Amino acid sequence: MFIRLFSLILLILSVAVPVKAQSDPKSLIDALSKADFTEAEKLIGQIAATGDTRVVTALEAFAEGDLYFRKSDNLVFIAKAAGSNVELIDPLTGASAGAAPKNTVTKIRVNNNLRRVIRSAMGGLTLLSPDRTVRLQAADAVLRSPSPENLELVEAALAKETDGEVKARMEEARAVSVLSSNRSVDEKRAAIETIKNLGGRNALGILNSVSGSIDPSLKGDLDAAISSIESELQLWDMAQNVWYGLSLGSVLLLAAIGLAITFGVMGIINMAHGEMVMLGAYSTFVVQDAIRSNAPGLFDWSLAIALPVAFLVTGAVGFVIERGVIRFLYGRPLETLLATWGVSLILQQAIRSIFGPTNQEVGNPSWMSGSFALGGLTITWNRLWIVVFSLSIFVALLVVMKKSAYGLNMRAVTQNRRMASSMGIRTPWVDALTFALGSGIAGIAGVALSQIDNVSPNLGQSYIIDSFMVVVFGGVGNLWGTLVGALSLGVLNKFLEPSVGAVLGKILVLVLIILFIQKRPRGLFALKGRAVEA
Amino acid sequence: MITGFILRALEGKIVIAVAILLGVAILVPALNLLALPDSALHIPTYLMALMGKYLCYALLALALDLVWGYCGILSLGHGAFFALGGYAMGMYLMRQIGSRGVYGNPILPDFMVFLNWKELPWFWYGFDWFAFATVMVLFVPGLLAFVFGWFAFRSRVNGVYLSIITQAMTYALMLAFFRNDMGFGGNNGLTDFKDIIGFPVQADGTRAVLFAMSAIMLALCLVIASAIVRSKFGKVLVGVRDAESRVRFLGFRVENIKLFTFVVSAMMAGVAGALFVPQVGIINPGEFAPANSIEVVVWTAVGGRGTLIGPIIGAVLVNAGKSFFTGAFPEFWLYALGGLFIAVTLFLPRGIVGTIQHGFKARQALKAAAEAEKGRGDEETVARAVQAAE
Amino acid sequence: MNTIAETRTKSLLYLENVSVSFDGFKALNSLSFVVEPGELRAIIGPNGAGKTTMMDIITGKTRPDTGTVLFEDQIDLTKKDEADIAQLGIGRKFQKPTVFESHTVWDNLELALNRDRGVFATLFYTLSPEDKARIEEILETIRLTHRKDELAANLSHGQKQWLEIGMLLAQEPKLLLVDEPVAGMTDAETIETAELLKEIAKTRSVVVVEHDMGFIRDLGVKVTCLAEGSVLAEGSIDFVSNDPKVIENYLGR
Repeated sequence: MFIRLFSLILLILSVAVPVKAQSDPKSLIDALSKADFTEAEKLIGQIAATGDTRVVTALEAFAEGDLYFRKSDNLVFIAKAAGSNVELIDPLTGASAGAAPKNTVTKIRVNNNLRRVIRSAMGGLTLLSPDRTVRLQAADAVLRSPSPENLELVEAALAKETDGEVKARMEEARAVSVLSSNRSVDEKRAAIETIKNLGGRNALGILNSVSGSIDPSLKGDLDAAISSIESELQLWDMAQNVWYGLSLGSVLLLAAIGLAITFGVMGIINMAHGEMVMLGAYSTFVVQDAIRSNAPGLFDWSLAIALPVAFLVTGAVGFVIERGVIRFLYGRPLETLLATWGVSLILQQAIRSIFGPTNQEVGNPSWMSGSFALGGLTITWNRLWIVVFSLSIFVALLVVMKKSAYGLNMRAVTQNRRMASSMGIRTPWVDALTFALGSGIAGIAGVALSQIDNVSPNLGQSYIIDSFMVVVFGGVGNLWGTLVGALSLGVLNKFLEPSVGAVLGKILVLVLIILFIQKRPRGLFALKGRAVEA
Repeated sequence: MITGFILRALEGKIVIAVAILLGVAILVPALNLLALPDSALHIPTYLMALMGKYLCYALLALALDLVWGYCGILSLGHGAFFALGGYAMGMYLMRQIGSRGVYGNPILPDFMVFLNWKELPWFWYGFDWFAFATVMVLFVPGLLAFVFGWFAFRSRVNGVYLSIITQAMTYALMLAFFRNDMGFGGNNGLTDFKDIIGFPVQADGTRAVLFAMSAIMLALCLVIASAIVRSKFGKVLVGVRDAESRVRFLGFRVENIKLFTFVVSAMMAGVAGALFVPQVGIINPGEFAPANSIEVVVWTAVGGRGTLIGPIIGAVLVNAGKSFFTGAFPEFWLYALGGLFIAVTLFLPRGIVGTIQHGFKARQALKAAAEAEKGRGDEETVARAVQAAE
Repeated sequence: MNTIAETRTKSLLYLENVSVSFDGFKALNSLSFVVEPGELRAIIGPNGAGKTTMMDIITGKTRPDTGTVLFEDQIDLTKKDEADIAQLGIGRKFQKPTVFESHTVWDNLELALNRDRGVFATLFYTLSPEDKARIEEILETIRLTHRKDELAANLSHGQKQWLEIGMLLAQEPKLLLVDEPVAGMTDAETIETAELLKEIAKTRSVVVVEHDMGFIRDLGVKVTCLAEGSVLAEGSIDFVSNDPKVIENYLGR
């Protein structure tokens, strides 16, 4: 009860302070003409304390060095050069006060210290602005650079504030200011609590900065708050790492998912898989190029247009490769490996001959640029879209494999070719289509990867080993294995990176996979039994 | 016992091949050093260096053939053993530079001075001594092959899986050697060599000796490989390739058989790398690139895997083709190489030598069968003919 | 209990309560099975009864989930791998004839000979007169002397089966496991094979898995019928083929 009463009194007082101090802002501003730096500093405080938002323009002008006083009457104006004359503007109303020769006015000098004082005073002032956004920004400004001078102003603003979000922000700003003021220990303790709840690097910085000067009795509270924020930050760091890992994992998934079909399901060692991804990326480039020169308005749709194009182009190339080379090599996996490697060399060189060896510029549509914050996480839109995209491809593929008639045929052929063929399934046709499907998906992956990687003839090379690792690690012939394999390798990579560096992290992951394959030669989700060994 | 082992190696074709190699080892350096520069017989130094390089590649292909052609292990990481042998030799050559480097540091190679290193890392100790480096040329690739093979063959990682993890192995090593803090010169590798056992590396005489050594080592390894292949062990090896579980159920420890072959092969690859480095004057992490290892596979396939002469011929032919193409039509080389990969697997699965051998034996068999028909139809003759046909 | 103890003391191969499952499918379900020294035993049973899985377990290819597998009463076979078990003296012929097709008949037998199988022993091996005599003897037994220098790939299907049996003989095993030895053979070859197996069984134990009831009748030995991973019936061929459960599960009415 008593405390409430006390705070009520405090509140009334704090509202009363600016009221009491209020004198005419005009005369305060005019007083600047005769003030030295120390006096000016005090005056700025008083001007701000009037709570009159009209003074903002004057203070801004002061900081910019645009504030002059007329020698004749020591009145202060904002002056703008107009030829040999200057145009005088009333600092409060903004009304023109006519022109005057330059030599009749004197500039009011300003230094960096004053500028700082002005900035923080204005931060406080705009707290009273009628515009909600401005108030929010002002509260943020106080939060970032707290000063005890602003405290009363913040409290005044707080008393008037009705908007919930702004009010909460102002509460935080007040707490921050309280810490550096000479307020009572109890109030500071409450402030520490508020800042602790605020969390984040900023709060940590504020608490750390006052830890030297704080009242000894508050030391315990402060340290507890600091360590609480630190552990929370660690949690966010971890979450950020998980996000980076998932993001890398989804890139791996994209690269590997086509291979999960050609290698995992059909057993074809397709070394040209990376080149399919590369062809997909180049399809995106060609589509964007066409859009740029023909219909620039469609640019935001370029990826949506590139998807089917890439799927068809790489699917067709895959079809040709299967019919032209691979079908002669079924049952000879090592030979397939060599032949498809040859294909990959040819495709690389072909792209190099057509487009040149250098990187091609592939643009991000507007909806894929930028980033947003989620709690303590920073998430870029392109990464988020790639995660979403790779998961949707995965799901789509799963549905095709499990639910469609074609998927049934395909599984029949891979499980028992002769039986399938005697059931009337055209096995060569299914083989060709399946390979084309795997290639087409690699092409789609290329569309997505063109957004985050350099589009060059060597694009595919950088993905091929990783893709094989993912498929083998996850377990051949198991789409879920590929998903889990990709995501866990991605996360593992990103957790190793901070402690050992990117390259060493990658090496370690490779070594771990090699060791893992020794332990479980058939991957995470291995099929067991006699059929597998036959 | 051992003489029997070696004597068995010297079957007809191998003797001829060894004789040719030894002839080349004498003749080419002689023509380089003794023939007058303007005579038609003169072999210019650049050409000798190029041929020396081919011989090293041929040795590498032979090493791969031993594991792939005879034991069925398709290693996509043999370039790693080659590069490790090369680095071991390169480290010796670096130490020989002494204070003649740009920074003039008597102990530290230039790149270490550049990176502000204060002392020689422990793994560089001993490399100023040629004998030690020579041992390391065999030991380091052998050790890697042993450790890798120990785990892989024990847990029965087979076929494609093995190929993929050997590829991952060389890829991981490449990434590692690209790092400056590994202490092997990072990106730039080891280069600017001055001399080898006191002789200047660039001198014609030294190059001639290096060339001759390459030919002699190739001949020696050919004899060793032939001895292995023709022993009972070699028959077991082919058994492992064709019917691994049968070998296992006969009581052989397949993992030991594979491990031995893999280690011997890795050591041969290391020797090839060690002879390669002083002749080309540089070793860098690019040698670990997975693409290099796969290229070795195509040399072996072109020449004929499962024959000992084949990979040698394949390596020389493909690399001569590469030199020609990259000089005349650089755009065209990758098309040619890619096409070669496809053509060999589709149309020439036995490779050049394998196909010739097969055709030759088939003709013999036909002839023998005809004779047998004419004569008393002796079953034995027909049998022998049919066997020869294979 | 007493009988089990007795059989244990003189068994060559002893399986008790062996179970193994693959992804939920129980391939063997508490299988118990005993082979005595010098015994020739036939095993019959429908497809999927667990015949091949049982052989996989005895030869170390598959590890049982539970159960005891003993050789000569004391050696625990579940702890050994294929090579160890082969060296202990258990030979196995696969369902599909598996010989080294790119080696000659002679080389096939030479590789199978029970000699030191270490890396260096084989590297420096030279053919001794005894080994030569032994190979020639086996060639006679399997009737392949006239084709000894031919590649195994060129043999007929039946000859490959014999060559594989010959390789097992060269191994000098105490126990031979023979999986469908007469599949794809002519009637004459089948009869000859039965003779060959009976001959071999004089000096060692043999377990034959076969579908051919005529062949089993020719052998005239104790028969075990497996179904769904356990023993359905055991006894003479007449006893087993009259067992209603066997008729139901395997022979059909």
